[in-house]
Amino acid sequence: MEKKLFINLGRCIACRACEVACEKEHGISFITVYEFRDIAVPLNCRHCEKAPCIEVCPTKAIYRDEDGAVVIDESKCIGCYMCSAVCPYAIPIVDPIKELAVKCDLCAERRKEGRDPLCAAVCPTDAIIYADLNELMEEKRRRKAERIVEAQRKAVETLAYFG
Amino acid sequence: MEEFKIGLCPYCGMGCRFYIKTLNGQPIGIEPYPGGVNEGKLCPKGVAAVDFLRHEDRLKKPLKRTENGFVEISWEQAIKEIAEKLLEIREKYGPDALGFFSSARCSNEENYLLQKIARLLGTNNVDHCARLCHASTVVGLAQTVGAAAQSGSYTDIPKAKVLLIWGYNPSETHPVLMRYILRARDNGAKIIVVDPRKTRTVWFADMHLQLKPGTDIALANAMMHVIIEERLYDREFIMNRTKGFEKLIAVVQKYTPEYAEKITGVPAKLIREAAITFATAGRGIVMWAMGLTQHVTGAANVKALADLALICGYVGREGTGLFPMRGQNNVQGACDMAALPNVFPGYQKVTDDEKRKRVAEIWGVEDLPSKPGLTIPEMIDAAAKGELKALYIMGENPIVSDPNTEHVIEALKNLELLVVQDIFLTETAELAHYVLPAAAYAEKEGSFTASERRVQWNFKAIEPPGEAKPDWVILTMLGKALGLPKFDYSDVEDITREITLVAPQYRGITSERLKREVMGVQWPCPSEDHPGTPRLHVERFATPDGKANIIPVEFKPPAEEPDEEYPFILTTFRIVGQYHTLTMSNRSESLKKRWSSPYAQISPEDAKKMGIQDGEMIRIVTRRGSYTCRAAVTEDVPEGVIAVPWHWGANILTNDALDPEAKIPELKVAVCRVEKIGGC
Ligand code: SF4
Ligand code: SF4
Ligand code: SF4
Repeated sequence: MEKKLFINLGRCIACRACEVACEKEHGISFITVYEFRDIAVPLNCRHCEKAPCIEVCPTKAIYRDEDGAVVIDESKCIGCYMCSAVCPYAIPIVDPIKELAVKCDLCAERRKEGRDPLCAAVCPTDAIIYADLNELMEEKRRRKAERIVEAQRKAVETLAYFG
Repeated sequence: MEEFKIGLCPYCGMGCRFYIKTLNGQPIGIEPYPGGVNEGKLCPKGVAAVDFLRHEDRLKKPLKRTENGFVEISWEQAIKEIAEKLLEIREKYGPDALGFFSSARCSNEENYLLQKIARLLGTNNVDHCARLCHASTVVGLAQTVGAAAQSGSYTDIPKAKVLLIWGYNPSETHPVLMRYILRARDNGAKIIVVDPRKTRTVWFADMHLQLKPGTDIALANAMMHVIIEERLYDREFIMNRTKGFEKLIAVVQKYTPEYAEKITGVPAKLIREAAITFATAGRGIVMWAMGLTQHVTGAANVKALADLALICGYVGREGTGLFPMRGQNNVQGACDMAALPNVFPGYQKVTDDEKRKRVAEIWGVEDLPSKPGLTIPEMIDAAAKGELKALYIMGENPIVSDPNTEHVIEALKNLELLVVQDIFLTETAELAHYVLPAAAYAEKEGSFTASERRVQWNFKAIEPPGEAKPDWVILTMLGKALGLPKFDYSDVEDITREITLVAPQYRGITSERLKREVMGVQWPCPSEDHPGTPRLHVERFATPDGKANIIPVEFKPPAEEPDEEYPFILTTFRIVGQYHTLTMSNRSESLKKRWSSPYAQISPEDAKKMGIQDGEMIRIVTRRGSYTCRAAVTEDVPEGVIAVPWHWGANILTNDALDPEAKIPELKVAVCRVEKIGGC
């Protein structure tokens, strides 16, 4: 069972609580919310299954930790930013002080204590959640099924009414 | 040592819980609390809620104005001088020369004490800023359903089949409530948003009725017209539980959707569709906020919405209700505690001899003033005219929050005594004769009442800075110095206990219970073993005969209408990352940098006509003043409408014309012109 960070674009209200939370936790925000007409996109590291950043890093500074998060080992990073260049979302950024690549580590410190990444913990609308994909989908399927039942009942009621 | 203390968010009226993380007694951050109405979730202000607590600008000592500016004085000296001055003014001009602004930011106990001081001094001149937000709701709901409060609970929202969100933008004002709203949508509810602007809440709506500011009644009446014409109303509910439907039929008859289209600008077809969707859903909730209430027809607007919900039978059942959403953390409580000029705690009218005598008896006096006092705008006017001589302001900043800023400043400068009790030196405090440093939320205890009538205990996490004291401590000192009877409270629980005696709705809500039940208790709660009341009006309404009054209202245009000199309609709004007059939120670096400066939304058509580029500086001018900010060219506002967030002092522009019943100013509609300044 592996938890991942999911982003559900249809639920983001562009409140930027995730950004503020990330900044509180890490000093810089590794998540950015882009607002457009009718929709907002909170963008952070997707911790890709086939992560190009891991593949390209010449010093093997980027690795996957035990929870599956893609993280950078600061001591190995040489600041070449190849990871930034290959990342489809342009996620790794320059730490202004260390001048090395930094990115979301899914709140490694919090995870150690069994807590969820802070952005997911605070997001008021569940636009970001930290969950197990299979469980998440199961839950969604169950809710869909409930809706079908409800619609069916309504249809029966209407039939009875007109019958 | 790192510690986690249960906190209660100091910002909006949602009532969110979180942990305050402290290190050696200093606040270092917040951590989601697994529970509470917010289920651990927070908006950006909640996440940054400890940021302002240790800000260097915090007031730490009492200040007294001298010719050379403020000087620090001792608490004893400050309280003694203020008390003497208050008594002197009362002696010279009578008790009604005194005025008190209580605060929706302070606890129930603190509001209770301030209004008690006012009354014991012989005046009902006590009010608070609900006057500027939900005074219309208080009046409108009292007349229709008899209780000036949200009828259901947040948990009713996901059970509704239709949500009518009127003049309200929860995505920015109550982000955590959007959690419940989106859950309703997941469950198949239809969402109808009524707003002059295309807000972020509209992103999630099935229908957006983009009405012209100030035309709400025409729209509501047209919806009722359709519901009546199509016979979609709840006959049984209307017959058994309401009065006045016939009068409504007569009034709304002329409001055909076509007629309303001309007034509101909303297509008749859409009005019809919205009305049918609303009425046929079976379970519906109506939510509103400042977009509905801040009008010269504010109280009538609320009555129109109440009527709409009543004829559909959407009150008192699961998944239904009237939801006025509160903007500050204790608007509900400040109203309940009677920081209002016409009632005693628990909405007992000052004119009701029997109830007044009972309160007087508990307070240890013969009688209390029976003449309703002045509201905030009336106190400001009275001060400007020289009739009000002393004003005691606790936790409010009228220079930024009230309309027509210049007038407010002039009024405050005219006072013989202005006392401001606050956590920062606000724009208003700068004009005061005495400034008293208060403790902020995390530095004191007491109860707060959130939007759904939920009373929760606010636990203390840290010590106040310097010599700052909890407002209730300051007021107790003042009460004693004034020689008022029975002011010997030794802790805040003493006051909570007295509230349970005076306010019938709070009878069973003791401090012991609130400390035990962190989720709080929803009033009315008549006894200690009563579980509280998640839903009002289940069997009967809170009116004398138990029936709701359907009160038809006619559309009246706003106080100002565009003309050649002022061709645009100006309206105001709030943004998610700043709060009210910026006093707290702008002292958080994380918030300040993301929500940094004022702007004005203007439609691309208008911008093009005037040659205004996005980001360019413009000047907005109304009959009351002018205001400079950046233009934000956006399709979110229609042609002819200019919309500004009010946090950065835009109330210099707004109209102080009042609703005759609720005395709420028309903050949401003013006419303006726009001048190009150029430069970015
Ligand atoms: S906290 Fe959630 S809703 Fe708010 S901006 Fe971030 S992702 Fe969007
Ligand atoms: S940094 Fe970019 S490529 Fe690497 S895991 Fe994150 S999203 Fe994928
Ligand atoms: S910047 Fe650092 S982490 Fe990124 S590719 Fe280069 S060495 Fe690896």
